[in-house]
Amino acid sequence: MDLHQLWTILSTPDNVPIVLLLFVIPFYTWYGLRQSFANDRLIAQLEKDPVMAKTHHRKTQPWRPGWAREVHVWPYLLRIEFLAAIILTVILMVWSITLNAPLEEPANPTLTMNPSKAPWYFLGLQEMLVYFDPWMAGVVFPSLIIVGLMVIPYIDENPLGNGYYTYKQRKFAIWTFLFGFIALWVSMIVIGTLIRGPGWMWFWPGMTWDHNRLTFDVNRDLPDIFGIKNRIGKILFGGIVVGIYCVAAWIGVHMAIVRDAFGKKILARMSLLQYATMQLMLILMLSLPVKMILRLVFRIKYVWVTPWFNI
Amino acid sequence: MSELEEKDPVVNSSLARPMVIASVLLMVSLAWALWDEAYATRPWKSYQSRFVKLYSSYLKTARPSAEDAEKKIRASSEYLRLDKEMQAAEKSVLAKVTEIDREVNQVLVPQSLALNEPFQEVRSSIGALTYQIEVASSEKAKQSLRAEIEEIKKDKVTVKLPNPDGSMKKVEYTFPQMDKDLLDWKAKKAALLLQRVELMKPASELRARRDKYLSDRIAEVSNETLAGVERKLAAFSPGIRQIHVKDVDLVDRCESCHLGTREPVVLTKAAMGGEAMFTSHPNKDLLKTHDPEKFGCTPCHGGNGVATSSVDKGHGRHKYWLWPMHHKENVEAGCQQCHSGEVVTEMGDTLNAGRELFRLRGCMACHRYEGFDKEPEDLTGVNQQMRQLEQQKAEWDREAGFTIQKADKSKDNAEAQRLYARADDLKVKMSGLDAKIEQLDIRSRSLIREIKKVGPSLKEVRSKLKKEWIPVWVKDPNHWRPGTKMPVFRLDDEEVQAISAFIWQAGVNGKVPPQPQGDAERGKEAFETRGCMACHSMGEGSAKQGGTFAANLSREGEKANYEYLVRWVHEPRERTLPYCPYEKKDLTEEDYKRNGAPFVFDLEHTRCPNDGHELQVQQMTPMPSLRLSIEEARDIATYLMTRKQANASLPAAPYLDDPKLKARGQFLVRNYGCAGCHEISGLEEEQRIGTELTREGSKPIERLDFALLGHDAAKEGWYNHKGFFEHKLKDPSVYDKGKEKENKLERLKMPNFNLAKNEIDALATLLIGSVEPNIPARYQFKPTDQRQDIIEGWWVVRKYNCMGCHQVHVGQTTVFNTLTRYQDPDWKDQRPPSLIGEGARVDPAWLMRFLNNPAQEEKDLNRNGVRQYLKARMPTFHFSDGELRKLVRFFEAMSSQAQPYIAQKLDPLTEQERTMARQLFSSEGAPCLKCHATGDPNHDKRATAPNFTLAKERLKPGWTKRWMIDPAMMAPGTAMPSGLFQRDGGRFIFAGPTPASFQGYQKDHADLLVRYMFQFTQEELSRLRASAGAGAGR
Repeated sequence: MDLHQLWTILSTPDNVPIVLLLFVIPFYTWYGLRQSFANDRLIAQLEKDPVMAKTHHRKTQPWRPGWAREVHVWPYLLRIEFLAAIILTVILMVWSITLNAPLEEPANPTLTMNPSKAPWYFLGLQEMLVYFDPWMAGVVFPSLIIVGLMVIPYIDENPLGNGYYTYKQRKFAIWTFLFGFIALWVSMIVIGTLIRGPGWMWFWPGMTWDHNRLTFDVNRDLPDIFGIKNRIGKILFGGIVVGIYCVAAWIGVHMAIVRDAFGKKILARMSLLQYATMQLMLILMLSLPVKMILRLVFRIKYVWVTPWFNI
Repeated sequence: MSELEEKDPVVNSSLARPMVIASVLLMVSLAWALWDEAYATRPWKSYQSRFVKLYSSYLKTARPSAEDAEKKIRASSEYLRLDKEMQAAEKSVLAKVTEIDREVNQVLVPQSLALNEPFQEVRSSIGALTYQIEVASSEKAKQSLRAEIEEIKKDKVTVKLPNPDGSMKKVEYTFPQMDKDLLDWKAKKAALLLQRVELMKPASELRARRDKYLSDRIAEVSNETLAGVERKLAAFSPGIRQIHVKDVDLVDRCESCHLGTREPVVLTKAAMGGEAMFTSHPNKDLLKTHDPEKFGCTPCHGGNGVATSSVDKGHGRHKYWLWPMHHKENVEAGCQQCHSGEVVTEMGDTLNAGRELFRLRGCMACHRYEGFDKEPEDLTGVNQQMRQLEQQKAEWDREAGFTIQKADKSKDNAEAQRLYARADDLKVKMSGLDAKIEQLDIRSRSLIREIKKVGPSLKEVRSKLKKEWIPVWVKDPNHWRPGTKMPVFRLDDEEVQAISAFIWQAGVNGKVPPQPQGDAERGKEAFETRGCMACHSMGEGSAKQGGTFAANLSREGEKANYEYLVRWVHEPRERTLPYCPYEKKDLTEEDYKRNGAPFVFDLEHTRCPNDGHELQVQQMTPMPSLRLSIEEARDIATYLMTRKQANASLPAAPYLDDPKLKARGQFLVRNYGCAGCHEISGLEEEQRIGTELTREGSKPIERLDFALLGHDAAKEGWYNHKGFFEHKLKDPSVYDKGKEKENKLERLKMPNFNLAKNEIDALATLLIGSVEPNIPARYQFKPTDQRQDIIEGWWVVRKYNCMGCHQVHVGQTTVFNTLTRYQDPDWKDQRPPSLIGEGARVDPAWLMRFLNNPAQEEKDLNRNGVRQYLKARMPTFHFSDGELRKLVRFFEAMSSQAQPYIAQKLDPLTEQERTMARQLFSSEGAPCLKCHATGDPNHDKRATAPNFTLAKERLKPGWTKRWMIDPAMMAPGTAMPSGLFQRDGGRFIFAGPTPASFQGYQKDHADLLVRYMFQFTQEELSRLRASAGAGAGR
């Protein structure tokens, strides 16, 4: 256990946000979910009460007799926001006093630093380069992430859950978010920041980042494992494997949606275009962890090798 | 549920407490931010206030003594006299000066001022009209405007002029009158002021003299300066102090904290309350040549000149700052960046020591470093140029032939003539090439002579060494001879055997004639007095004496063969066989016989009998010939053969003749780079095996292979260039630690030099300083004047260890100064002469001849040319032409002598003057001949000073005169008496009794003697001898 190394990594000003991320994200996820479950219980209780059902009412501090049904923004919301603003200002000031901008040495065109890392918010993308070829990881996926975020309002046919925390009413959306943001995006940033050392090799926390470290790793393409040598064969084989994955993912996603009646109801409200778009995005999103497992566990470089692109 | 919980928390809960806490925290963080901004990131502020406090209190203690000293001077009679004279002079002209001042200040100036305004007004209106004339289109309009101007000029203006008593008078003026008056007054004022200056002149001269008297007598800083400093401190305002050199975009704020650096008062650590950061720069002379306003601080010292937020950042001791401040022991690393072509840099002792080690210990044999050991490279370059020129010549020759052919065939006469002219041109150009080639050829011959190896030649081991000694030595040279130049290679026994066998078997079979034994007693005496010990040392441990330039010879008898040693002492450069670089082989007698040539090779016979190429006819050693007789060489060799430890014995080594080991040995010798330092058969063309070090200091730290020690280095704080170099030098195999390298050849090869701490510091200084210069070329020291001669000369002076015998610069000690024998007053005069001022002393042409042949004689070489009374001998170095030129230029430049030297013309002597001078020369009062040699063997036996009959060729007349007048000033401790002459008005006269003939002689006596010496003839010598003999007889 190299504590010196661990401290060096954790205390680098550039890495401090990531360390904070490690604590803050689980906390707020838990906090949000707690509120959601509380609301769900409340909703169930209110639905049972014919007086209260179908009325507008407060969800965070459930209404009780004698209380106002609605409260004004000023002062009841703004004073809390003001307090939050003050606390945030204090945090930012202390942060900017204690941690300086992590400037490094002048760039040297003849010498690339090792490891050579992007700013922390891009580290997820950089980590993706390990699993896909640069065209995919650098261009296609980032564009698809943006497009995917843009289409969310257009494919979301669930009218519930606006303005209050709920789990029950937005199960699918919450799971998609937790998977896409936390499991993929945040964890890849954490891996890129804390785990990847010299030579972009995998260093468990506490291992010394040794520039002399050598690892033996042979990554092969899937067609090669199956002994497919010619190009056409590789293209066909890869296409078939990717096709199988797509079908399997499609079925899996579909099964997840139609598991309960609520999901079926939402599905029924979706047009074919909305459904197809959603499936496409989810299939692509799922491909990332699949490829990560193939690479990290089975040491497979590419599945589908063509002269134009590699997947 | 309780009452309280019934209430709506959104409406009823109070946020007052969190709001108060948050607000307080906000205020605290605001205060923290302000404090951080004002003080924490500006630590220089507290340094500045501390500096002011310490400095002021120091001045309070320093000032009274300075004041006292100044008061005393002000009270001295001389100062008072000067002051009184000055006052008197001022008083004598006071009345006139006051009158002038009154006239100027009360009449002329107010009147001019009063008149000036109306004058300007009229002039401006005329000017405007004149412009209108110039741009007017019709002649008529111009005429009317001109008339208008005339009108204006005639107009009368009433001007109020002040009288001296303060009243006003009204005067009517036209424009021309105003103009005239103003000019008159101006002229008058100028005349009056000039007159005033003239009147005041004696007084101001006296004042200047008085002030100079004062300032000359205050050693350090005057009271006035101190007062100035105190005033400055009282008005001290905190702020960044920065040097900004615009043209190199350099900003250094070092002086924001190091405020004492350039103070006029010398501030020591003690004076500043033990704070080293406030002391003055320790070397003010250095700052004189490197003005901080022009050079800044960081170009020399390193560090981050702009950073002011913390000490570590300012000093650049930060992971990401690539140019950290040099540590104290390496501070001279900063010099190397600009003084990279030098081997000796003034005031850079550590750096010079590092360069000397780099040369002497043979670092340069494995590592290329620009400037070091450059002769082989230069030789390659010259040969290449020669080949190119020869090619060019052949091309032109062919073209000339074609042109002539074309001209012969051309039908047109003019065309033919043009072509013939062209062919002629080409031929003339070819002859120009011939001249160039000839020069290059001379240079290449010079260079072959200049190439030296760090270690001895291994070609002659068979005749030179005891066979069994080789493996003992190869195994651990430092054990056998502590402090030897040869480093310890980490060899196992198998490698030692193979290497020794190869060296033994690769030796050539040269013939060494048998020699009879000499006398060891006499040999010892000769060894200790002839000058051997300027380079070699003798004795072990604390008994060690002599120079470190060459080997310690205490155990010479255990390893050497007597016959070879005699030959070596007699002429170290003599080879048994010459080497032909073209054929890459050692020539034998056979080669000569086959070509019908006599088997003779020396500096006059340098061509290969097989192919005419230049041969290596000398041993590549810097060791010179002392021109000893063969008998004396035998004595010394016999003495050296007695130098051995008691019961010395060497284990038998039969494997040395095992031919099976040869190939393996050669492989290893090549692998370890032995041929870098030694001349070895078959490996003459080996390249350096190490990495180039010219820019090692700016190699990115990532490229320095710390191997497995990188993390420890980072933790222990030596993950930087300094740390890398120091650890490597201390233990060259340190970066193999923990590495799994089964194949021995993969391991680090650098041998262990057993360097002491100060040696490591010196070498590390050189390496840290070996950086890519990051300042413009014009800041680098690349002089084009005589200073360049000094730079080049030092390389030669160091190469041949001139400083072992001679003092070359002020403050240097020679090896002779350290030898016990030469501490005896009788032996002090036996030390070789100092060469300080040599360039001013001797004629450069003579110096060239002398360096070429210090015997100054063609046949009898067994002598000193100038100081025949010295036991130590100026050796023959067989300098090449290039080295001779560099040395002569060096000495001339060191004494600031103009190039080329044009001898001063002296007035011819009259017959009477000659007689007078001769009489003076041999008179009782001036016993010149008592010490100075004359070339007469009988007389010279007692002589202890140079032969003055050589003076006219050897010396410069101006120097000779200065020397005769005050030799002790030029060479403190010289035997030549001072005070021979005394000043008499504008001339020097002899101080002792002069012969009668000097009655009424009005010219300079020292001049007379100089002229006499420089117009000396052979006849005069015999006359002088006769008269001196007569004098002695009396």
